[in-house]
Amino acid sequence: MSRSLSWRRLRWLIVPLVVLPLVAVLFVGFGRDPSVIPSPLIGKPMPSFSLTALDGTTLSSRDLAGKPVIVNFWASWCPPCAEEHPVLLDLAKRYGDRVTVVGILYNDDAEGAARFLSRYGDGGWADLLDPSGGTAVDYGVTGPPETFFIDAAGIVRGKQIGPVTSDVASAQLATLGLVVAAP
Amino acid sequence: MIRQAAFTLAAVALVALAAVAVVNLLRPAPPLTAAQQARALEAELRCPDCQGLSVAESRTTSAGAIRTQIVRQLDAGQTPAQVRDYFVARYGEWILLEPASPVWLLIPFLLIGAAAAGLIVWLRSARSPMAAPSPTLVDTPAAPDAAEAVRQRVRDEVEALDA
Amino acid sequence: MLATIGHVAILVGLATSVFAAFAFIAGARRGDAALVAAGRRSVYAAFAMAGVASAVMITALLTHDFGILYVARNNASTTPPFFSVISLWAALEGSILFWTLILTGWASLVLWRYRQRHPALMPWAGAILALVAIFFFAVMVWPGNPFIATTPVAAEGAGPNALLQNHPFMGLHPPLLYLGYTGMAVPFAFGMAALITRRTDEEWLSIVRRWTIVPWIFLTLGITAGAWWSYEVLGWGGYWAWDPVENAALLPWLTATAFIHSSMVAERRGALKVWSSALILATFVLTIVGTFLTRSGVVASVHSFTQSAIGPWFLAGIVLSLGGGLTLLVWRLPDLHDRERPAGTVSRESAFLFNNVLFLGVTFAVLFGTLLPLIVELLGGGTISVGAPWFNRVNVPIFLALVFLMGVGPALPWGGASWRTARERFGIPVLVGVLAVVAAMALGLRDAAPLATVGFAVFVAVIMGDELVRGVAARGRSRHEAPPLALWRLATRNRRRYGGYAVHAGILVMAVAIAISATQGSQISATLKPGEQMTIGGYTLTYRELGTAPLPDDARVFEARALVDFSGPQTGTLATALRDYPNSDTLIATPAVRTSLGEDLYVTLIGYDGTSKTATFRVFINPGVAWIWLGGGMVGLAAIFAIWPERRRVPAATPADAPAGAPADEPAPAPSAPAEAQG
Repeated sequence: MSRSLSWRRLRWLIVPLVVLPLVAVLFVGFGRDPSVIPSPLIGKPMPSFSLTALDGTTLSSRDLAGKPVIVNFWASWCPPCAEEHPVLLDLAKRYGDRVTVVGILYNDDAEGAARFLSRYGDGGWADLLDPSGGTAVDYGVTGPPETFFIDAAGIVRGKQIGPVTSDVASAQLATLGLVVAAP
Repeated sequence: MIRQAAFTLAAVALVALAAVAVVNLLRPAPPLTAAQQARALEAELRCPDCQGLSVAESRTTSAGAIRTQIVRQLDAGQTPAQVRDYFVARYGEWILLEPASPVWLLIPFLLIGAAAAGLIVWLRSARSPMAAPSPTLVDTPAAPDAAEAVRQRVRDEVEALDA
Repeated sequence: MLATIGHVAILVGLATSVFAAFAFIAGARRGDAALVAAGRRSVYAAFAMAGVASAVMITALLTHDFGILYVARNNASTTPPFFSVISLWAALEGSILFWTLILTGWASLVLWRYRQRHPALMPWAGAILALVAIFFFAVMVWPGNPFIATTPVAAEGAGPNALLQNHPFMGLHPPLLYLGYTGMAVPFAFGMAALITRRTDEEWLSIVRRWTIVPWIFLTLGITAGAWWSYEVLGWGGYWAWDPVENAALLPWLTATAFIHSSMVAERRGALKVWSSALILATFVLTIVGTFLTRSGVVASVHSFTQSAIGPWFLAGIVLSLGGGLTLLVWRLPDLHDRERPAGTVSRESAFLFNNVLFLGVTFAVLFGTLLPLIVELLGGGTISVGAPWFNRVNVPIFLALVFLMGVGPALPWGGASWRTARERFGIPVLVGVLAVVAAMALGLRDAAPLATVGFAVFVAVIMGDELVRGVAARGRSRHEAPPLALWRLATRNRRRYGGYAVHAGILVMAVAIAISATQGSQISATLKPGEQMTIGGYTLTYRELGTAPLPDDARVFEARALVDFSGPQTGTLATALRDYPNSDTLIATPAVRTSLGEDLYVTLIGYDGTSKTATFRVFINPGVAWIWLGGGMVGLAAIFAIWPERRRVPAATPADAPAGAPADEPAPAPSAPAEAQG
């Protein structure tokens, strides 16, 4: 034959050399949700804001210093926000003295918010209006619900994209230094 | 003769055009207005809740909010690079429609260049009589002009009828 | 009841495909023609079963049978009949069914056509086609069952995906695309059959070439139709976003185009056998990769309906086809001797081969760019995006080089040319090209890419024109035919060459149109109250009124419709709307496009206030867009002309019929006995 012996052996390597990398890349794709983007804000100070609440008062991020804060971006037209609302209510009830919960409306108005709260329950925490969407951009929000977990020093420690579940809540609160009771 | 002259003329014209292009490229670009800068930035940033569209193209509210922010930042005196960094600091590199590192751009071009070079080497290495299937299709440098004209005409006709 | 019929049809289809595979393989190994015939009939039966299942699904959609889960998810009682029918391919499971229908249709066609020919290759090709059919039927039996029943039966369905039911092109784009995608299984089957049987002489290449061009035509038209649909429907004013699914459709088109070109060298020289086999394998695998990228949710895309259980199956399909095909190729590598080697750095062969380098370069760039976010994440580099700006930056220069080559190839002779010949051939075309660039600059065009496109396009056009003129003149001199007749006779007797030129002409039209429309457009946004005006590019638009009402033929959809009068180069009224579909969070825009040959006036309603009737519009002037679609149509028609079967002529009539060493004519599926005998 015109081919040398070593080439006859070596050529079979072509098959795994081509197939395996392609499969590896495509396979990795399964492990990830293309809509989950890790946040570059983690470890950085929380972006500041000063917004009007539903009751007309103004709340600024400076007022929240000294205690851990949970900032929850939500909207009345967003079904997963309704899903996570009971978790947030429970969280506020149990740890409300040690953690401040703040809601910021994403692309929504006061009427929609009022309807949602009367239907799913008002946890008593401030819900702020963000009419220009500038605060959402400041926090790098891609869509509701997104929740930021900020420690007492005002540093962002965690971000949850999608609804907050009780497991997520426990884990995130632990990173904020809270000792959480078993649910 | 005409064809030879045409080629020389064409070469000159090409060089002239290339010179114009180079001069144009090297000339400092006129400063962009704020609106143009904003438009350029909008085309570079990705709409956060679309799939692959730029903020310029998207209709969603978050895209609108980003466009508003861009204008606000530029008006406050930030340079386009600073505005870009502002968004990357909040959303991550993901918010840019083009990856920051130019390395990725080079890879396809390097591969094409390597393949083209390899092809040239491969083609040149096969110098065999088979390469010229018919002597009338290849110039013979010693041919006198008249015979060459006849050959050219035969070549033309054969090629016109060649399937 | 219906669901059961459909499900049984799929099961029978799977069974007949399995039987076909066994029959073909056994019949090929034993040389048993009866077994092979049985295998062929089983493939026809599989096609019939896919037909039954499709008919069942269409009936269920038309009768709004919400007992079937697919219908409940993709149809509603108010869905109009046209959109009910095309919902067959609107979502995952239905589109797999549609795919299987067309795949078995292609398989039946080619097996029927060759039932008495190519006795060595055909059974193995049939076996491969049967294996592919088995895969798709199996997907429908297990992860992607279209006929899952729902209990209790819902009273109302969710309705089709909003984006897929507001334009009739949804009836055109997927079928064309699927005809192209699935058709690539045929050349793949024959390529693999040639490797299995070691019949790697020119017979298989001419078969494969013919059966690549036909799906290629469908792919070209399907991709163009998709871009057109995207332009008319999505409302962002563009037609190509380098979206992962658009890329997925483009990838096999690129490798198929590369193959069509390199096969001309391969046929003439009996060379490039390994390369040709690799290209055919790549084209087929890319059709499966394309479906994987679309269906599995791996890369977020406009088309990703779901992230589903089908993903792993398609990954397995890719591994099997790529791994199996490569193994076969590597195994038979010693048999793939080239008869001759192409040589000559400046020759038509080398132009075709450089064409291949560039096409494969684009293929790599597009695949690389689409998968790069995944790769970077795998390597721990965080999340990045690779969007339209990156793809344009890479691909525009490569496409420009390809346009240039379109002129170089036909101008060079086969076998090699000296630099002197090259200089003689290219002098005038380059000169005219440069003059065209200068003229364009004088007319106001300043951007580099469109200028280069115009220059290269004129260069190519002059070369092709020169060929035509010389050919017609030669015929005129030798046969005394008038130029129009001479041109017709010339073209119809050399369909491959002149059809090829016509295809290239269509590509030139598209290239220039794309370059102009992408860079010379303008846009403006404005918020208006009724009666107010906006101006852009010579047009004055007056916002007349806004009406909100449910759709006449689908009462669940609420539409806000704005009427806008416009005057300028065109005059009239257009209506643009925002629709609220019950199954969609966001409002769906219906842009209004007023097309003329010169430019499109494109108006989208971005938002509105129902009480004050204030509306926000975005208006585009897009020059030259109509020529993109026209160019695409030209390409399709020209390609059909190129492969149309030539009438057999008595050999004494013209010497043009029997040029030495020329490959056989290419009869497409029009049976006529002499053409059949030819191959």
